[in-house]
Amino acid sequence: MINSHTKGIILDKTSENGGAGVNYDALFHNFRNYSQVSNIWILENTDNGSISRITADLFDHPVEQLIIAGNTPGFVKGYFEGAMKASGRSVSDIRLVSFQEFGLFRQEDTAMVQALIDCAVKGVSFEMAASQGDLEMTTDTLVIGGGIAGIQAALELADGQVHVYLVEKSGTIGGKMAGFDKTFPTLDCAACILTPKMVEVNQHPNITLMTYCEVLDIWGVPGNYTVSVLKKARRVNLSTCIGCGTCSEKCPATAFSEFDAGTCLRKSIYIPFPQAVPNKYLIDEESCIYLKTGKCRACVKACPVPNCINLDELDETVKLKVGNIIVATGFKPFDAARMPQFGYGKFPNVVTALEFERLLNAAGSTGGNIHFRSKDKKDNWVFNTSTAKPDRLAIIHCVGSRDENYNKYCSRVCCMYSLKFAHLIREKLPQAEVHEFYIDMRAFGKGYEEFYQRIRNEEIHMIRGKTAKIDASGEHLLLRGEHIETNQLIELEVDMVILATGLEPGEDTEQLCHLLGLKVGRDGWFTEMNSNTDPTGTATGGIYIAGACQGPKDIPDSVAQGSAAAARVIQNILRGKVAIGFQNLTPESIVNQANELAMIR
Amino acid sequence: MNRIDPNLTRDLRKFGIRDWNDCYHCGTCTATCPLTAQGFLFPRKEIRLMQMGLKGPISTSVEPWLCYYCGECSERCPRKANPGELMMSLRRYLTSLYDWTGLSGKFYTSKIWELGFIIFFALLVILAFILILPPLDTTLTDQGGVKINSFAPPDLVEYFDWAMAFLVASLLVSNIFRMYLRVIWTGTKQRISLVEHVREFWHLVFNFSVQPKFSKCEDRSYWLYHWLLMSGYTIMFILIVVFLPWFQTENIFPAWHPQRVLGYYATIGLLVGLGAAIIGRIRKKEIKFEFSHVSDWLFLIMLSLTVITGILIHIFRVNGMPWATYISYIAHMAILVPMILIEVPFSKWSHLAYRPFAVYFARLKKSTMHQSR
Repeated sequence: MINSHTKGIILDKTSENGGAGVNYDALFHNFRNYSQVSNIWILENTDNGSISRITADLFDHPVEQLIIAGNTPGFVKGYFEGAMKASGRSVSDIRLVSFQEFGLFRQEDTAMVQALIDCAVKGVSFEMAASQGDLEMTTDTLVIGGGIAGIQAALELADGQVHVYLVEKSGTIGGKMAGFDKTFPTLDCAACILTPKMVEVNQHPNITLMTYCEVLDIWGVPGNYTVSVLKKARRVNLSTCIGCGTCSEKCPATAFSEFDAGTCLRKSIYIPFPQAVPNKYLIDEESCIYLKTGKCRACVKACPVPNCINLDELDETVKLKVGNIIVATGFKPFDAARMPQFGYGKFPNVVTALEFERLLNAAGSTGGNIHFRSKDKKDNWVFNTSTAKPDRLAIIHCVGSRDENYNKYCSRVCCMYSLKFAHLIREKLPQAEVHEFYIDMRAFGKGYEEFYQRIRNEEIHMIRGKTAKIDASGEHLLLRGEHIETNQLIELEVDMVILATGLEPGEDTEQLCHLLGLKVGRDGWFTEMNSNTDPTGTATGGIYIAGACQGPKDIPDSVAQGSAAAARVIQNILRGKVAIGFQNLTPESIVNQANELAMIR
Repeated sequence: MNRIDPNLTRDLRKFGIRDWNDCYHCGTCTATCPLTAQGFLFPRKEIRLMQMGLKGPISTSVEPWLCYYCGECSERCPRKANPGELMMSLRRYLTSLYDWTGLSGKFYTSKIWELGFIIFFALLVILAFILILPPLDTTLTDQGGVKINSFAPPDLVEYFDWAMAFLVASLLVSNIFRMYLRVIWTGTKQRISLVEHVREFWHLVFNFSVQPKFSKCEDRSYWLYHWLLMSGYTIMFILIVVFLPWFQTENIFPAWHPQRVLGYYATIGLLVGLGAAIIGRIRKKEIKFEFSHVSDWLFLIMLSLTVITGILIHIFRVNGMPWATYISYIAHMAILVPMILIEVPFSKWSHLAYRPFAVYFARLKKSTMHQSR
């Protein structure tokens, strides 16, 4: 062995949250017998006794290199820096091995964690040892999800002469961004940025756009995947539909519009929104009268194009051969009804962020005016311009985020979109009072802090303290909260409350992870290869992730990841080969590769 | 001038507090609390004081006693920081601060002290019985009951009761006075007139007898359980300390006689209240029962044993079983005496005085707030 130094390993258990995590005892027994390893400890907690036991050992038996392995070993590194210096080594002789960085935190990951530490002991990069078994590949690429990240990735690839299949579940591409009114921090019109890209996708010769389609199954090896895609019956011929809308006018059935976050109704034969791509109608199975009762056919009678609407069309499955896959399935908003204290679903004028986006949007059902929710003639709660406008509005931050009872993580975008809401309310209702209830203002991006400071000066009541509950108070809503800075209990009467709902992994995340041979991360998002250095790669070769499916993300970051994932695919295509990914390798083969690499050094 | 006490962390931890650094000050707990009010905000403010190490404001605060631990704040807390349990621990800490003997702190933080004290006094009681015991009369009364008054003469027992009551009351009253000095003299800048003291006094009586604040919590059943327990105990206490010759009789009255009705009510009230608390602490379904300090369990166990031995005395006496009656009587006293000595002035039971007095002091404080406006 070339690396015959004496090494010490600290297995840092302090960042384990209990439960069935990596098996530290197995690791301990395994590495204790290594010839290079002179000393090994398990660090259970960071009290004085545990730390001083290890530092005393380090004084008595100095090691050439100290490896600290754990979920977040950086947290405990500081405890041992002094001991290393005192025993004649330097801080740079401490090496950190993070399991979490590679998405390894389950009990069944123990063998892979062992390989990970093994690489560190041998002084070899795990990424290098795990990049092996180059496979031949086809160049066609699949992008799953037609939101802004998927659109960006597809366009980058297509412009680089790569043929792309863009599979989108809903009837249009554009994703969540298409429903927004303005983007922060520049207050640009979201549609003005997005729709040209959507049109470009539709017209690009290198992109096969597959809307209203779902990925059913994936099999094969990295570089040569076969994907089975379900083409849900649209019941309107994509090539002959002229998008005139006559069918929709005649359609007698209605349902809540998904695109409008349920703020208004649409017909059963519909286009999600006027700028949808493709701008072709489709039929919603659930609400169509003909599909339920066998009678109606009003749309068929009205359609000016012969044979364009085929109500009896069936779903079909197609198979695609692709070399690389980019997953950009995005997020779903937190279901505010899970927090009964805020009364969403009980009080009509407690609205979620996506609903409010549609109220602000000039293309929404109220034409960009803020009105109350009211019952229409058929007793459906909708927003329309027939009602009055609110005089006092409150925005509650962190609904479903930073909360141990729901989601522990920060959803990143809510503070900023809430500030944007405050600004837009002031713009649209200059007489209205706006109260923002926040815990901490997280303005983390370029230009964001400046945006916050600007909005602060727009006569908006910024109240530090999340509210605890909303009750009815006659016609109004009564908010109860604590104003942390002035040390006062607040009971505020408002007309409308906007809940800044957080981001959650999409419903299909787990299923898709399973199909792709990936594992879901701790919070339910897709797990990246390395959270620091490889955020778009995954543990499976040829599969990349982009946008909010990897974690809560704003538009600029999603776009950046879309481009980054495309770059990874183009890298494979230029090489003509794709690495297999450590998920498909045995820990033994990684260790063998590490041995070889260590010999070369 | 408030000084930061770096040792506060260490001191508070001994009273059952785990960690208060989880709190990120969103104010959910305070706004959820049905009892918090302007001027007396809790629990977040108290957690802030703990985090900052401000021993001064903590020791003069009355807020921990205004919390009845319904647990709603802990349920809603987005950080699972358990604000309700932090308030409970603060009450233990404050009890030890009010106590001038220093025994309270010892009992709360050391099991050896607490158990040692109990065992010592239990043995003392048993020894006293053995030493001063008159010759045992095992003959029965005409009704077939035990001649209990020959074993424990009521007038003698009552003298002892009075002595105990005087000792415990003087300890408790001196501690309440220390609480008053902290909360009112140190805690408020203005002096409060005697008229104000008299005017607000009925709050003390009202809160002592009804605990109206407890009933504001979302689940009112525990207010009822607690009230049954409290009223049961109060009746029993008055019967034993004031009316012992009337209560401890050899004559077996019919079941509808006030002596037996009152005794039965008190027993049932105690059993229902104790049962609810014990079952709750075992099941741990509600947050308020999730964490049990040694002192919480010890109080429940000792009170239960007192009630059970009391019931046994009654059963054995009525059914004419002299030996069993006498042994139960000794056991009853051997548990009751250390329980009263330890719990009422020094430990969990002192809340019977601190809570209503806290409401009274809070009213007094509030009157100064109005004046300053």
